[in-house]
Amino acid sequence: MRWTDRGEILSVQNISKRYGDTAALTNVDFNLLAGEVHCLVGENGAGKSTLIKILSGAEQPDNGRIQIFGKEYAHLTPRQALEVGISTIYQDLELITSLTVADNIFLGHEIKRRYGIIDYHTQNRKARELIDSLDVDINESAYVEDLSLAKQQMVQVVKALYTNAKIIIMDEPTASLGIEETKALMDLVRRLASQGMGVIYISHYLGEIFEIGDRITVLKDGRVQAMYNTEEVDLDTVTRSMIGRERSLFYDRQRVAHGNTVLRVHNLSKRGSFEDVSFDLHRGEILGFGGIVGAGRSEVMNAIFGVEPKDGGKIVIHGREVNPKSPWEAIRLGLAMIPEDRKTLGLFDIRSVLENMVIARNEATGLVLDHVKEQEFSKDLVQRLHVVTAGLKQPVGFLSGGNQQKVILARWLLSDAQILIFDEPTKGVDIGAKAQIYKLMVDLVKEGKSILMVSSDMPELMSMSDRIAVVREGRLVTIVDSKQVTEHELLGCFLEVHHDGGVVV
Amino acid sequence: MKALETSFKKKAMANQWFLILIVVFILSVVAGSVNPRYFLPANISNLLGQISVLSLVACGQTILIISGNIDISVGANIGLSSVIMAMLMRSGVMPWLAALIGILVAIISAFLIGGASILFKAPSFIVSMAAVGVFQGIALFLTQGTIQTVYGQFETLGSTKYFGFLPLLFVIALLGYLVMHFILTHTTLGRSAYAIGNNEKAAFLAGVNVDQKKLIFFSLNGLFVGLAGMLLLSRVGAAQPSTGMGIELQAIGSVVIGGAPMSGGKGNIVGTFFGVLLWGVIGNALNMMRVNPYIQDVIVGLLIIFAVAVSALRLRSEKSSME
Repeated sequence: MRWTDRGEILSVQNISKRYGDTAALTNVDFNLLAGEVHCLVGENGAGKSTLIKILSGAEQPDNGRIQIFGKEYAHLTPRQALEVGISTIYQDLELITSLTVADNIFLGHEIKRRYGIIDYHTQNRKARELIDSLDVDINESAYVEDLSLAKQQMVQVVKALYTNAKIIIMDEPTASLGIEETKALMDLVRRLASQGMGVIYISHYLGEIFEIGDRITVLKDGRVQAMYNTEEVDLDTVTRSMIGRERSLFYDRQRVAHGNTVLRVHNLSKRGSFEDVSFDLHRGEILGFGGIVGAGRSEVMNAIFGVEPKDGGKIVIHGREVNPKSPWEAIRLGLAMIPEDRKTLGLFDIRSVLENMVIARNEATGLVLDHVKEQEFSKDLVQRLHVVTAGLKQPVGFLSGGNQQKVILARWLLSDAQILIFDEPTKGVDIGAKAQIYKLMVDLVKEGKSILMVSSDMPELMSMSDRIAVVREGRLVTIVDSKQVTEHELLGCFLEVHHDGGVVV
Repeated sequence: MKALETSFKKKAMANQWFLILIVVFILSVVAGSVNPRYFLPANISNLLGQISVLSLVACGQTILIISGNIDISVGANIGLSSVIMAMLMRSGVMPWLAALIGILVAIISAFLIGGASILFKAPSFIVSMAAVGVFQGIALFLTQGTIQTVYGQFETLGSTKYFGFLPLLFVIALLGYLVMHFILTHTTLGRSAYAIGNNEKAAFLAGVNVDQKKLIFFSLNGLFVGLAGMLLLSRVGAAQPSTGMGIELQAIGSVVIGGAPMSGGKGNIVGTFFGVLLWGVIGNALNMMRVNPYIQDVIVGLLIIFAVAVSALRLRSEKSSME
């Protein structure tokens, strides 16, 4: 069946969603027509994910109305969403990679013969038909793990077609694709729309959106900032409406005079992650690293900290070339790292606050523990950082996100680190703890330490950094003075159109 | 009253050994009333001797399990190292030197399991399972399957009793507990065992030299296994390749009953001590009550399942309150 008339197939009105103290969405209106590609843009944390979670039934809105094909819902369950024909394709694929394409398409809806035996023959034939109908080049009996990421995305689309999806939501489908693959996927999206399907398309790449979208909705801080018809708007206007915000979100930090170069990174490379990254870090400086998620910033930090050692290039600390092959070695060179993923990479959740704090220091000292000193150190740090805990013996898993982050900060304050790497230092941290962490970072540079800070939080990046290095697709494209750049220019730098070479700003 | 009740509950839940103590107490009362000889010094002395070998093996296993590893080849390792000790003694090597060489063999064997597990990034469970066959095979090849008797050559350790009651074996086992307790609570090595067991990636990023530490844990376990093999040889006066068979399960069971989850990151030596004690008391009490030996196995098995269930529930309630 084809929709020839462009009717409204989905609309939400006045949708709001709060998580604790933060409003993720406030009074959002949004609609989708049959046969259109409606793009959703906005910075990290603007509320795009929350909106699609509500549409796919993963989250329930606090208030507002959802209308799909004329029927009204207060909220959707994941099952309802599927039944009415909404299919969401997430960035991290949800395929079973050890099964074939056809197996994945029919997963949970297998075609069976008598006695519940799966009819592979019919499944393969039907899969072939579906794949052909989309005019893509995929072998139905190939194992998913042998396919490129782009083809895996396409398998997801085919799977959505089989479950009779009429509305497809794509969350950054091209984030990890190359130029050719992106083109093929976008062709596919256009074909879906021409067959009458409605597509909600989320991407950081504005160039892509102008190529593919019929309409563009801009979200900012959980509100709809603007809605445009693509033909009637230019890139500059869209970028401008994505940014600009209240002054209060910016932390007004004290500046510190810079000293000698403490870290020089020259042409640092790691195959498949980043290439020819060069920068200097000075005593007392906070060097921010900006870019979209997945640009390769964390990978650069991991190479410097010895987690995934570099392939090429030089790291020079205090004038001496070094080559850390593990964090253990890097720490002995005066480095420290607060990783992005606190829960899986930072915390010992069933161990005590004290043990979590002293571990790095212990590893650098003798064999026998000094329990008295440990107590003193951790007591001091709990007070200094205002860690809210029932006691030093409290397992750190019981603490709130902000307090957990403070415990990890404390770990490195106890070591002799001169160069600290902060990877998303305030991710998932409440506003109060945020300000305390910022103050601590300023205290550190005042003491003559230096900080590399990866941040996807625009106000944080602009207000905390002295300079900002922009990383895009594994390359450090420029380093700008944070006082000489506007949010608009910076965002333009992050987003530069990536497949046709056109420059945005 | 309510407050007292909950605080008692908390205490009992927080210390699994407290629960074990209650079970030991009940078992003892029942066994003692069925057979009064249960409380005679001779029986208690015998019980202490019985649990000495298991104590050392369980000590070594404790640090491995805390660090998220395991070695199920310890039984076969005892077989191999004690056979080598006995053969050396029979060929005229001085007993203490023979014992020392046997202990070294045990350390190297355990070290190799750790090394292979790290090198091939394979779970130590699989590597040590494969090692069972290797160790037993070597022991069988060396002895051609015969029993190596050393009667009269190496008895002092096994037969000495202080005050006619306290076996030297148990004194050595107590020393083992103390050493392992010191390592776990007073050294960076112990701390890193908990850290690695709780979150290996985070430990690596916090500057723990994870591979080196794991090798030390395995070697330390080898040392305790070697000592256990020596005690067993002295107590029994003979060794064969099947010596020590099954002790790995008793040791792992004791550690887990003592409150250390198999997932690592938790546990302590006090718990292991009570786990071993429970194991010894169950066996001894059931014997004293003349329970059919086949049924004894059933009862022991059920008790272990019960203990593991308690520890699993405890962990789950803890995790859920963390969310």
